[in-house]
Amino acid sequence: MQEGRVLPAKEINRDLLRSILTTPNWYWVTVAIMAIIVLGAMSAAGLMINKGMGLTGLNRPVMWGFFIVNFVFWIGISHAGVMLSAILRLSKAEWRRPATRAAEVLTVFSLMTAVMMPLIHTGRPWRLVYWVYTLPFVPYDFARGIWPNIRSPLVWDPSAIFTYLTSSILFVMVALIPDMAVLRDRTTGIRHQAYALMAMGWQGTPRQWKLQIISGILLSALILPVFVSVHSIVSWDFGMAVAVKSWHSTIFAPYFVVGAVHSGVSAVVFVMILLRWIYGWENYIRHEHIDALGRLLIVVATGWFYFFVMEVIFGFYGREADEIAVREFQFTQPPWNLWFIFFTGLTYFLPVSLWLFKWTRRNLWIMSIACISVNIGMWLERFLIIVPGLAQKQMFTFTWYTYAPSAVEITIIGGTFAMVTLLMLLFSKVLPLIPLYDIKEGDMLKTEIKIGRATVPAVFRED
Amino acid sequence: MAANSHPESHYGAEMWVFPVASQVTREVSERTSAMPMAFGIGLGVSGLLLGLGIIGFVIRAMSDGFGAHGPWGYYAAIFSFIFMVTGAAPLAASIFRVTKSHWRRPLTRVSELFSLIGIFNILLFIPLMFVLPAFRNPNLTPLAENELDLRRTIWFEVPIGATAPQWLDLLGIACLALCALVILWLSAVPDMAQARLQATGFRRSFYGVLAGHWHGTKSQWLNQKAGLALLGAFYFMLLVFMQFTISSDYAQSLIPGWKDSIFPVIYTLTGFQSSLGLMLVILFVLRRWGGYKNYIGISLFWSASKILLGLTLLWVYHMFAFGITYWYGRLEVEQNILKYLLFQSYGWLFLANLIFSFFLPFLTLLWNPVRRSDWGPALAGVFVLIGAFLFSWRIFVGAFNAGDVYNIGLEHVPAFVGPDLWDVLIVLGGLGGAVFIYLLGSRLIPMMCVWEIKEGAMYQHMGTFMRGRYLVLAKPE
Repeated sequence: MQEGRVLPAKEINRDLLRSILTTPNWYWVTVAIMAIIVLGAMSAAGLMINKGMGLTGLNRPVMWGFFIVNFVFWIGISHAGVMLSAILRLSKAEWRRPATRAAEVLTVFSLMTAVMMPLIHTGRPWRLVYWVYTLPFVPYDFARGIWPNIRSPLVWDPSAIFTYLTSSILFVMVALIPDMAVLRDRTTGIRHQAYALMAMGWQGTPRQWKLQIISGILLSALILPVFVSVHSIVSWDFGMAVAVKSWHSTIFAPYFVVGAVHSGVSAVVFVMILLRWIYGWENYIRHEHIDALGRLLIVVATGWFYFFVMEVIFGFYGREADEIAVREFQFTQPPWNLWFIFFTGLTYFLPVSLWLFKWTRRNLWIMSIACISVNIGMWLERFLIIVPGLAQKQMFTFTWYTYAPSAVEITIIGGTFAMVTLLMLLFSKVLPLIPLYDIKEGDMLKTEIKIGRATVPAVFRED
Repeated sequence: MAANSHPESHYGAEMWVFPVASQVTREVSERTSAMPMAFGIGLGVSGLLLGLGIIGFVIRAMSDGFGAHGPWGYYAAIFSFIFMVTGAAPLAASIFRVTKSHWRRPLTRVSELFSLIGIFNILLFIPLMFVLPAFRNPNLTPLAENELDLRRTIWFEVPIGATAPQWLDLLGIACLALCALVILWLSAVPDMAQARLQATGFRRSFYGVLAGHWHGTKSQWLNQKAGLALLGAFYFMLLVFMQFTISSDYAQSLIPGWKDSIFPVIYTLTGFQSSLGLMLVILFVLRRWGGYKNYIGISLFWSASKILLGLTLLWVYHMFAFGITYWYGRLEVEQNILKYLLFQSYGWLFLANLIFSFFLPFLTLLWNPVRRSDWGPALAGVFVLIGAFLFSWRIFVGAFNAGDVYNIGLEHVPAFVGPDLWDVLIVLGGLGGAVFIYLLGSRLIPMMCVWEIKEGAMYQHMGTFMRGRYLVLAKPE
C-alpha cells in the first residue's frame, strides 16, 4: 500500500536540501566528537607503526585479528549500495527510492574504510608499493627478483576492491548529477561554482534525462559482477588456504556475499531510520519503506542462514580429526561457545523473529535494534571464522594459542566506525542523502484507480 | 509487446493486458475440455515411452538386482532430473505470488500442475532406497589406513539404523508431493467452484468434490490466500532441505573424499533454473499453439527471462566457486574429483553441461529484443533443460560408479560409464511418464488460473502519462 501524500516539487526541494542549506547546532558538535575519535584512532595507528606490531594482541599462530575482521566487516557493509540501488533499480521496486543514495554513499565510505585495514595490519604501510608494484626505483624487491605473486588472493583483493570503489563512485556521481543542478541553482559564490562544475551543464533536457537513465541502468548491470566478485575474493583469502582447518570450504564465496548483503542492508535500514529522525524526513522515509526492507531482510537472512548451515554441516561431514577439533573449539570451548551463541542469536534468530510481524517491522525502535543486532552478529561471525581457525592452525596442541585484542587495536577499530559516521555527516552537508529527482519521479508515477467501490493506489508501469 | 486483440479492448495496440473477466471462464473451460489431435499424439507417445521405461526397469532389476548401486546410475540420474525440475516448478507460483509480481498470473497454474508429478517422484524413488550402500563398512580391514568404518554421509553417526536415511528421504519426498498437491488444490478451488456450474457428467462431480463448500466469501478468500502463502513458505523450505538430502545421499556421499559444501546449493539452483526454463517452454507452446495468446503476454517472457538470466549467472558463479577452491587447494583427493567430474572421465559431459546451462542461455538472454520475444526465453529454457539433464547424468552416474564408497578419498580417477539399452529405456520412460501425467492433469484442471487472471484484469487500467498511454497497476496491499 502506498502511504504518504504526493508532495509538490518545491516542498521536496525544501525538505531534502534543508540539511545542506541550513546547519543545526548538534551538527558541528557531532562532527567534532567523531573527528576527535578518528584522530585518536589515527594516533593509535601512528603509535603502532612507530613502535611495531608488538603493541597489538597478534602473536603466532594468530596473525590475523581485529584488523582483518574489521576489513571483512566493512567490505560487507559496502555491499548494501549495489544490493539496494542496482538490483532494486533493475527490478523496478518502487520502495527503493529513498534508500538508494544513502546506500550508495555508505558503500563508498565503508569501502574506503575497509581498504585502510590491511594497510594498517601490515605494520609498515609504505611497503604496499612492494605488494602491488615492482618498480625500478624500488630497489629492494627489484634487486632480489621478488615479484608480486599474482596467483595469491591477497593480490586479487586490491584489484577487486579498487574496481568496486571506482565503479561505486561513478555510480554515485551519475545519480547525483540532477541533484547537483538543483543545488547549483540555489547556491551562490564558490559553492555555486563547485556544484556547477559537478552538474556538468545539466539542464534537464529530455536527451540528458535519457542518457542519465540509460547510464544508471548500464552501471547497475555492470557493477553487479564487481559487487559479487569483491566479497568472493575476500572469502578466498580464507578459502584458498588449505592449512587452516575450517577455512578451505567451497561455499565461502556465496556465503560471504550473502552475509555481506545481510549486514549491509541492515546498516542502511539503521541509517535511514537515523536520517528520518535527525532531519525529520517522515514524508520521505516512511513506515512502508522500512516494512519492505524488513521483508527483504527476512529473505536475505534466511538465505544467509542456509549457507551458514551448509558450511557447518560440511565442516563435520568430512569427519577429519583436525577440523572437528577446530569446530569443537568454536562450539564447545568457553568463551568461544558463548560468542557462537551470541553470534547466531544476534545475526539470525533475534532479528528474523522481530521482522516476522508487520507491526514490528513498522516500529522504528524495534527495527533499529534488529539491524544493530545483525551488525554486531556479523562482526562476531567474521571474528569466529578467523581467530579459532588460526588458533589451532598448528599440528601440536602446545603450539595452539588464542588471541586477545590490545587497546591499540580496539581504538583503531572504534575509529573506523567514527570515520564512516563522520564522512556520512560531511556528505550530508554538501549533497542530499535522499535523491530528489528519484522521489519526484516516484510521486509523478503515483495514481489511483477504482476497483468496485474502492479507490486503490496504483502506479504507472512501462510493461 | 503482444497486441491485445480481444474485441472489447480499449487498450493500446502495443500494450498487453488480460482479456476482460467475462471471457475468461468460458474460454479456459472450453480449452480444458478440448482434446486436439496434437495433444492426443503427445499423450500417446509419452504413454508409450512410459511403457518402454517400465520394461527397461524390469529387465534391469532382473539382470542386476538391487545389491549393488553401480548399475542404477542412469536410473538415479533420471530420477534426479525429474525430481529437480518438477519439484522446484510449483515453487514459482508461490514465490511470484508472495512478491506480488503482476506478470506471474498466466504462469501460476502451469507451475502448480507439476504437483501431480510428485506422485511419480515417490514411485521413482522407491527402488533407489534399496540400492544405497550400508553405512557401516561390511569389509573393513583392521588397521587399514585408507578405509572408513562408517562411510561419510550427512547423517553422521546418529544411531538411526542402516537404512533410516532412505526412509527419511522417502518421507520427505512424500511430504513434498502432498504439500504441492494441497497447494494445487487450494489454488484451484475457486476455479473448480466456477467450473462445476458449467461442466457436465464426470467433470461436474469431480469439480464439485474439489470445490467443496466454496462460495467466494471474504473470509474464504482471505483463508485461501493465507493458506497459499504459508504452504508456499513451507514447501520452499522442505524442497531446499530435500534437495540437500537427495544431492548428498545419492551423489556426494557416494564419491570417496568429496566434501563440497556448495554442491547442494548448485543442485538447488540447477533445479530452480531448469524448472523456470521448462515453464517458459510450456508457456511458449500454450501461447503459440494452445489458444492462450490473449492470456500469455510478452511481458511474462520479458520478466521471467530476467530471472532466468539471473539464475544462469548464479549457477555459473557457484560452479566457479567450487572449481577454483578445489583447483587452488592442490590436494590430491580434490584434484582427482576435479579430473573425474570436470576434466577427464566426465570432462566432455561437463563441457556440454557448461555450454547448455550457461553459455547458450546467457548468450541468448543477453539481448533485450530476444528477452522481449516469446521464442527467445523459450529457447533459453530448452537449453537449460538440456543442461540440467547433462548435470544429473554427469553427477549421478559419476557418483554411482566412483568405486569403493568406504575409501577415505578418491585414489585414482574412475572411467566414464556409458548407458546400455536398458538405461536408455529407463531414461526415456522416466521422461515419458512425467510428460504423460502432466498432460493428463492439464485436461482436468485448467492451465490458466482463472481467478488470478480475473483479479489481474481488475487491478490494471490504462492511463495517460505525459503524452503516452501506459499501464496503471493497482497496489492494493
